[in-house]
Amino acid sequence: MGNVSGNTYGLTILSPIIEDNSLEICHSMELRWYLSRLPRDQGSPFAQLSSTYLARLVVMDDVVFVGLPACEEHLKSRYLVFETNFDGDLDTYLRRMATETREFVDAVWGHCAGFPGTGDVGAFVSYMKKCQVETTFFFADVNDGSVESTLEALRTQSELAHFMEKHQGTPAAELQREFGRFLERLRKTPSLPRGGDGSQDIPQERRPHD
Amino acid sequence: MTKIDVSDIQGFALKGYNFPHARYLLLELGEAQAARAFLLKLLDVITTGERWDVNKKPMSTVNIAFAYRGLIQLGLPLASLLSFPLEFQQGMRARSDILGDTGKNGPQNWDIVWRGSHVHAWLGVNARSPGALEDCCSDMMRLIAETRGARVLETQDACAISVGGKFSTQEHFGYTDGFGNPDFKGAERGYVPGQGKLDELGNWQPLATGEFLLGYADEAGELAAAPIPHLLGRNGTFMVYRKLHQNVAAYRSYLDEKGAQYAGGKEKLAAKFVGRWRDGTPLELSPDQPDAAIVADDDQNTNFTYGDDPAGTRCPLGAHIRRVHPRDSFGFNGGLVNRRRIMRRGLPYGEYIPEGQPVKDSDDRGIIFMVLNASIFRQFEFVQQQWIEYGNDAHQGNDKDLLLGNHEGRGKFVVQGTTDPKNPPFICGGLPNFVELRGGDYFFMPSLTALAMMATNSVDPR
Amino acid sequence: MTNINGKAYAMNAITPMKPWKTPILKLIFFILGAWKAKQKDLKNLSFIHFARWVCIRRTEFPRLSDQQPAEDLRYDYLLFFSNFNGTWNQYIDAFSAVLYQGLDLIWRWSERYPGSRPVTGFKRYISLVQFDTDYYYNVYPYSATNDVKAALRVRDALERFAGTSQSLSTAEFEKAWLEFQIAVAPDLGSTGIAPVGT
Repeated sequence: MGNVSGNTYGLTILSPIIEDNSLEICHSMELRWYLSRLPRDQGSPFAQLSSTYLARLVVMDDVVFVGLPACEEHLKSRYLVFETNFDGDLDTYLRRMATETREFVDAVWGHCAGFPGTGDVGAFVSYMKKCQVETTFFFADVNDGSVESTLEALRTQSELAHFMEKHQGTPAAELQREFGRFLERLRKTPSLPRGGDGSQDIPQERRPHD
Repeated sequence: MTKIDVSDIQGFALKGYNFPHARYLLLELGEAQAARAFLLKLLDVITTGERWDVNKKPMSTVNIAFAYRGLIQLGLPLASLLSFPLEFQQGMRARSDILGDTGKNGPQNWDIVWRGSHVHAWLGVNARSPGALEDCCSDMMRLIAETRGARVLETQDACAISVGGKFSTQEHFGYTDGFGNPDFKGAERGYVPGQGKLDELGNWQPLATGEFLLGYADEAGELAAAPIPHLLGRNGTFMVYRKLHQNVAAYRSYLDEKGAQYAGGKEKLAAKFVGRWRDGTPLELSPDQPDAAIVADDDQNTNFTYGDDPAGTRCPLGAHIRRVHPRDSFGFNGGLVNRRRIMRRGLPYGEYIPEGQPVKDSDDRGIIFMVLNASIFRQFEFVQQQWIEYGNDAHQGNDKDLLLGNHEGRGKFVVQGTTDPKNPPFICGGLPNFVELRGGDYFFMPSLTALAMMATNSVDPR
Repeated sequence: MTNINGKAYAMNAITPMKPWKTPILKLIFFILGAWKAKQKDLKNLSFIHFARWVCIRRTEFPRLSDQQPAEDLRYDYLLFFSNFNGTWNQYIDAFSAVLYQGLDLIWRWSERYPGSRPVTGFKRYISLVQFDTDYYYNVYPYSATNDVKAALRVRDALERFAGTSQSLSTAEFEKAWLEFQIAVAPDLGSTGIAPVGT
């Protein structure tokens, strides 16, 4: 099935954005504004939707004119593109969107035509499936784990490297004990925060070329 | 078959002279007419790429290259100026974020001459003896005075390190340098296996000329971006100049400390940092001890691949030479490597203190490191940003090159190992900056034709 | 810059296709799906977390209400979404250099596609058809796909070793610890921020 690779699901949704000429600020503009202020790190609604690896929201204004001899044409509506890659099945994910990230879903899809709200979870799931487009080809480099186990693995890798460096030259008996303690600590260490905690970021002003 | 006109190309771009003495004059150009008059006189003495007869090697050589501001000062037409690649127009200082030249390596720590915008040109003099160097430099000073075409902001001396009474290719950390400069089509010197690119049969072939000279096809089957008109760029190239201060005391004490903990011993650990023993023997060919015979044999000393060492147990995955010249380690027939090669020139500067004698990091010593390539962005900047200051392509995450990386006290380097007690896995943490950038810039090294056009104010941009 | 989150870059591209070409492309994707060797190339390139292609036929743009006008299009559209590591230039250089056949096979059906070699014209086309991301979330911003794969290998090795480590004798532990270190030593790179995009 085009949307699935191993444990991972690749969801692509195109939701037409409401056109309303009577508004002072149109829906697509409000939507962009909202998205620009939405946190992208551990404060993101997708951190809450914990099975999400990478997700994007794009306001697609129009198709592209590639130049003669191609013909110029235009879309009659703008579309909100939602591309997400997550563990597990589609229904669970959509249901969780409606129940665990209601405010975000309402704020975003409230600008889209035919959105039934998040009050009726079933109606929301049907709405999203109506907007779903079939992925023709989906590639996933790593598709057999889960977000949780991946974050744990990343934490483990970094803790282990520190342990190994610190205990170079430690005699075997003592090392064995220390390693036992290390494993204990590792079990209790929380894995990396989903979305990152911004601790390693450089402020945008100092990254002028991005 | 590429036929290149060696009499039109500056010798510095085509070959390493292997002269032990050098002085780089950093010039601010005078008013345009005077500067052009200076260039006109210089044309008579610029060293080209023509081959020297066996007993007729000159005692000294002269070459020139221009920073973007120098080209503006010379009065090149606006359309030509704007056609130069963007990174060259911006200059190296403006690209510090991209290159990782921040913190200790940031422009605020550079030599004063490099912090301003006055370095317009680089005049490179190489010589076989101190006397020849002085003679040639006085000639240059005379030309400058006669024409009033420039002002010398600063001179930078460099000199090969003398070991056992003979000039060597060693640098201040004790490594023998100078292997692996890329072979390219049309260059007249003999090709050395390991310096070019690998073909499908595993043989070494020279790289496309256009990787190192403008106006020729490059490895992607295109001409690299070059200024207009065509004659301005053709047979020219771009040069990156970086003054790399070396913290020899920090290096020696780090090596002593970690070398004592490493079961293979200090010399082997030093070899693991780089991928070659300090005498130049490649670890891939001789993992257990240095081998002078291999070093002396051009058919061997850079003739190896990493295909048999995927786990880095002979040459660590993050070792310096493996990072900057991955050879076959990315697969795909070298497609990811062949457009990232750089031609290196350079000489050490400052007093050499042999091992065992006291040395201070505050002393002025290091290496003047110059890179020649057709595209600064695609070649030098890429290697610097992705392979030196980052480790993803080497599968080493964010770990930086041990010798050149801007670690700021926090870096680490992993030595992969085996069950051989002399070759254990080992982690070197707490890396300081062994090398600090003290200045530099991007330069354009024109052909003789282009120099003549510039000197006679006849650059016509269409 | 909203196309980037940590080490990942979100590229979106849309290209028009004459409708009679779409079934050909779908067939090609079907074959690619079964052609594991070509996918192995993508995995070995190790640049991409997730990527997908979506063919939208001209009548298939979702329509949710009668107020929304129906689309009246001449072309079908190929949408491409990639989550990759590295800079924009590095990514395109790499694909143009080593996977040009695959790229051409997929995009030759799109109007005005110039081919993936030489790369300069290809980059110009991509700039034309690429559109920017408004919001990008990355669960592990400090980890490239290489980092993730390395971490998974380390975790697996640790699980195998940890199980027995405490019950071994000291001498056995010493030997096992050495073997464990050897196994994980290639995969201990640190994670962190990405180099500046260029």
